[in-house]
Amino acid sequence: MLPVGLRDQIVAHARESRPEECCGLIAGRGGAATRLIQCANAHPTPVFRYAIDPREQLAAFRSMDDAGEELLAIYHSHPASQPYPSPTDRAEWHYPDALAVLVSLRATEPELHAYRIADGAVTEVRLEAT
Amino acid sequence: MAVTVRLPGSLRDAVGGANKVEAKGATLEEVFGDIERRHPGFRALVLDDGGAIRTYVNVYIGDQDARASGGTKAPVSDGAEIMVIPAMAGG
Repeated sequence: MLPVGLRDQIVAHARESRPEECCGLIAGRGGAATRLIQCANAHPTPVFRYAIDPREQLAAFRSMDDAGEELLAIYHSHPASQPYPSPTDRAEWHYPDALAVLVSLRATEPELHAYRIADGAVTEVRLEAT
Repeated sequence: MAVTVRLPGSLRDAVGGANKVEAKGATLEEVFGDIERRHPGFRALVLDDGGAIRTYVNVYIGDQDARASGGTKAPVSDGAEIMVIPAMAGG
């Protein structure tokens, strides 16, 4: 489940970051999202790629532990392409238990979709807005 | 030296699904070797053929980046928390 407020925050982050890709984490409890952890895009070519700084990851995992949360999803934006995991997204995915949330800004209305990526296979997961 | 090794992401599968394991060793290499004895295949996921930390993995001993502290030769102290974090990246 993804509260509408968090969905709006992801879209706002994507718009602020355009033309670069944005990225961050969704923390949760019991499968329900609790908050967004916005991260900086540390990749040297942020218009086409994203990378979260390892120190930000370390801080985020500790923060989630302290709050009794787990990593539910990693989100990033595709400023001008479809909201579907690219070959790079699939090849560099190391979190089979988390969802990949993608927001595309290619159209007037933002498109947000979630996927599970495991062993290179992509399965869309319906996100229920709450 | 007894340490706790935390494993978010795909590395959990290599240790039977746990998000942390207890291990022993005076260096990172010894700690990974100890885990390898109980969970064969773990070492190859975090270290390359030359024994260096794989590029997609970041290892922290407490707040210290292991790469900046000697890599696999980095010393670990009793009770240390080691976090092995796979990269979060894409396109």
